[in-house]
Formats: sequence, structure tokens, C-alpha cells
Amino acid sequence: MFGKNMCSKIFVVIFTVALVVGFSSMAGAAKINVGALNDMTGATSDVGKDYALGIAEAIHYVNDNGGVNGKQIKLYQFDYGYRIPEALTKYKLFKRLKSVAILGWGTGDTEALSPTITKDKIPYVSASYSAHLTDPKKTPYNLFFATDYSTNARAAITAWFDKKWPKHKDFGKRKPRFLTSYMFASPYCSAPIKAIKDQAEILGFEIGPDQSVSLFAIDTKSQVLAMKDFKPDLVWHGNTTMSVAATVRDAYALGLGADHIVNNWGFDENLPRLAGKASEGVMGVAVCAFYGEDVPMMDKVVEYAKKYNPGIPPEKRLIRTVQGWGDVLILWEALKRADKAGGLSGENILKTGFETMKNFDIGLGAAPVNFTATDHRVAGIVPIYEIKDGKFQIVEKVDLKSRWPKKWADEWLGW
Amino acid sequence: MHKRSFILTCLSVVVIAAMLSGCAGTMVTPTQQNFKAPVVTLDSMEVAHAFGYWYFSKKVKPTKGKPDNVGAPLDLAFIFNIENPNEYAVKMENLKFTVAFEEFDLNTVASTDTMWIPAGKTNQVRVHAHFDVRQSLLSLLVTGGFQLKAKGTNAWAQLEKWWTGIPEYAVPVHVKAGAAVFKADGLTQVTTFKATFP
Repeated sequence: MFGKNMCSKIFVVIFTVALVVGFSSMAGAAKINVGALNDMTGATSDVGKDYALGIAEAIHYVNDNGGVNGKQIKLYQFDYGYRIPEALTKYKLFKRLKSVAILGWGTGDTEALSPTITKDKIPYVSASYSAHLTDPKKTPYNLFFATDYSTNARAAITAWFDKKWPKHKDFGKRKPRFLTSYMFASPYCSAPIKAIKDQAEILGFEIGPDQSVSLFAIDTKSQVLAMKDFKPDLVWHGNTTMSVAATVRDAYALGLGADHIVNNWGFDENLPRLAGKASEGVMGVAVCAFYGEDVPMMDKVVEYAKKYNPGIPPEKRLIRTVQGWGDVLILWEALKRADKAGGLSGENILKTGFETMKNFDIGLGAAPVNFTATDHRVAGIVPIYEIKDGKFQIVEKVDLKSRWPKKWADEWLGW
Repeated sequence: MHKRSFILTCLSVVVIAAMLSGCAGTMVTPTQQNFKAPVVTLDSMEVAHAFGYWYFSKKVKPTKGKPDNVGAPLDLAFIFNIENPNEYAVKMENLKFTVAFEEFDLNTVASTDTMWIPAGKTNQVRVHAHFDVRQSLLSLLVTGGFQLKAKGTNAWAQLEKWWTGIPEYAVPVHVKAGAAVFKADGLTQVTTFKATFP
């Protein structure tokens, strides 16, 4: 009888220990699902692929550094080929997988999904930086780490006005002349047009006729000849890199005589490669440092790129990798804050995560990040670069918020 | 009787414990020094599904459904051998690679399905890469314009060549910048690979 009791007790003790050990190992393996929609095959794959690599590498970094308060992130990353129906299908999968947030991509998927993610209260951190997504009254769950296209466009034209126009031979004699070059039908390209023309009026430009240049263009001579009729001093380019390079090349060959400013998706390491000497002096917006630049956190970006994608030479990597990191780092911070503050519901991630960030520094040469319950513009300071000897050099950090505080606060949000 | 049963139970526990500790003694523990990178090679590529070469713009009224810009899909399956040269099992966490038709990168494919590869064994993994004429057209037009011009061709000519030639295995398909992530006891190894088929 004594032996039987003893055996039972030993069994109970071992069973209890086994249960505790088993469950503690399960607790250690806790994970959080995050979805990522990327374009690695479609119309924006030239930059989308590099951005997607950056996302995956940054998630490795997050998991190597404790994840979300000890919970590892499981990344479900899919290519949607820039096809909206596929983006919608993948979104439904992310919901089924109980993803706490989604790392999205371009204007197409972001705008198509915006009403749904707002209804479902799922944070959607994307690489579409349209100012239309910065007003939390309309799109509370759309977020990104970068300054928006409209803020960027205002800053770029202001930097040219500050730094280049005073050196022009006609300075003080007439108004500077300005026009835009972009694909009219593209939502990404046209997003900041109203803002940049508003800024041109504020600064006293004469505004010429817009020129429609396809994203597919490799010959833009007819548009450049049309520009010549207006004799612009400055052209703003809203397209992506290849067609911007084509326009800059044709402008150089046809002697347009204007300076150029470029939105961020047309301004990367491939522009000087494609446009050659025609790209000298071209100014543009970079929402963070270029790949490999000497800024905080860049050592990690480069280390993880080498570690996880050693087959891709460093010279093929772009600023898009760094942009992917930027979005992951703000999401990581929001998840950690929300997790500590009560849980990872979408609303909690937004309210106790993102909207508690005040001058949160992610490094990467990006502006410190701010989100409030009434304003999702991350910053009012935008660095403007210029290409010199094929390299990117900073020209000016334009502080729109300090320079036009009333307009910034009362007029410019959300467009 | 009870005493005998108790002694037998104790003996069994001792024997099992001895066996387990013996096994543990002979098992190799992964370390940074002994963790060899597994070897990834392309075994073959299959044209899993081919639908010919065609393209309809959204100006064309379909028999059923809504008009759209649509082109023929092409589904390629890449079969890789994953060889584990270690004396312990390793876990493959993900595998990704770029697919290029001739010199044009058209797809970057990733598989995040995890798999365990036993010590000294070779597993196979099949990864599908989906293409269609529409998205490859856009990719070529937005990114490959200068390259196509330098080659003296255009996007449509290239697409027709690929969509008719690849199902015949007449056009080489390149696997580029491949990387597979392996884990063993918290340690990480990344294997690179590239290949051309046929």
C-alpha cells in the first residue's frame, strides 16, 4: 500500500513538472503575426523588391532583439504584383491569421484597403506617403514613418527657392517660373500637386502648364519641347526613377536650362546611374538616409542585409531597404508600447502605441517621429539632397512647421 | 507483491534515465564552430501550369465577368535539394530567390514554410513562382525600358518569346540571389545559391 502511494505521488510530481515545463516552453514560443504586402513582380517591383527585403531583414533584427516584449514576430510576407484584387485577398488571409498589423506597400493597395482597415481597426503601416492618409479623422489606421508627399514637395520647392534662386541672374528682376512633370493618371504622382502649387504661390512663383509623362516613358522629348515654350527655372518630377531619368536626360540634351526637384520615389541610387551627367545638380527628397550612409542604425541595416541576403551585392541595395526598416521600427515600438499598456488590439496599438510617440528617434537619418490623436504627419522637417559627382549631398533641412506654423497647424493637414 | 512492483518500477525508471543520458551523451550539440551551412541546389524546374500567350486590354468585352487588362498566367515550380551536412537536425525557416528570364529580373519568391532536415539527410522543397503577362509587362515597362532599348527589342516581343519558349524549356530561367535561413539551437546559418534551368 505504501509503495503504491509512493508511486502515485512520484507520478503526480513528475506529471506536474512535465506540465509546467511543457507550458513554460510554449509560453517562451509565443508569437505575434504580422502581414506584409509587397510588390516583387509588378509595376513597382524595381523599388518594391528592395523595400520587401528591408522589411524581412528588419523583422529578423526585431526578433533577435527580444521581439515584442519577448514575443517573436512571425512575418507573413506576400507578393501581390501591384494587383489590387490580390491585395484584397491577401488582406482577408491576414485577418484569418489574426495579424495584429499589416506592413503595406503602395498607393493602390493602401487606398483600396483604407476604408476596410479603418472599419476593422487594423494598423496599416505602408510606403504610400500620401498626405491624404495623415488626417486621423479620415484614415486613423494608416501610418508611415516618413514625411508625406505634400510636405516633401513643399520642402523641395522651398529649398530651391532658398538656395538656388538667389544665385540666378534674374533674381530680383522677375518671378521664378515653375512647372510640374508627372503621370496625370497615377494617384501616387498626382497626390501632392495641389500642395506644391499652393507652395509655389506662397513663394511667388509663376506657374506654367503641367506636363504629362508616363511612368513607362523612355523618350520625353515632346514634353521637354513643350516645357521650353514656358522657359521654366524649375521642374518638379513626380514619377518613379526610370521616367524621371528619361526626362532629366532629354531636358539636358535639349538644353531646357531648368533645375529639377524630384519626389522621393524618383530619387534614389539608380537616378545618377540611369541619367549620368544629366543628373548633376538634381535636387530631391529622401525621407531617410541612403543605403550605407553614416547615420545611427545604418550599421544594423547593412549587417542584416549582408547576413540574410548575402547573394545581393551591396551596390545593388537602395534607400528602399532603409525605408522598409523605418516602417518596421515604428511598428515595433508601437507594438511594445501597446503590449505593455494592455494588449495588442488594433485600437490599443494605435492609441497607446503610435499616438504616444513624441520625437521618437528611429535613427536611419529619418526625422524623429510624432503621432497625435489629431495629426499623423510625423514631422515638419524635411532633408533635401542634391546630386553632386554622382553622390547625394544634403542641401538644406527645411523646417516647414517652424516657418509657417499657422498654415502647418490649421491649413495643410490631410492634403 | 506491492514491494516487488515498487522495486520493478524504480528499476525501470533508472534504466530509462540511463538510456536517455546515454543518448544525450552521444548527441552532438550545435555550436557556432560545428554548424555547417546546409547546401541548397536546384534539382529542377517544372512548368507547372501554362496557358499559352495572350493579352486582353480592358477595352475588350469578355464573354462573362468584367473587362480588365489581363494576360496569360505562367506558373513555374522550382524544386530544390536541401542537404544537411550536420550531425544534428536543422530547421529551414525561409528560402527566397529572384527569378530572371534572360537578363530581366521578374519575380522574387519566398517560402516561409518551416521544415526540419534530419542529420546528414537531404530534403526537397518545391516553391511556385507565379507570373502573368500583365504584371510582367508593367514590370518591364516601368523598370526595363532602357535595357530593352539597348537590346534592340520591346516588351511585347520579349513577353511572347518567354511565354511561348519557357513551356518548351527552350528559354533558360535563372535563379539569382538565393538565400535560405537555417536554425539550430538558436544559431543561424544563411546559405546562398544560384542556378539556371535548363
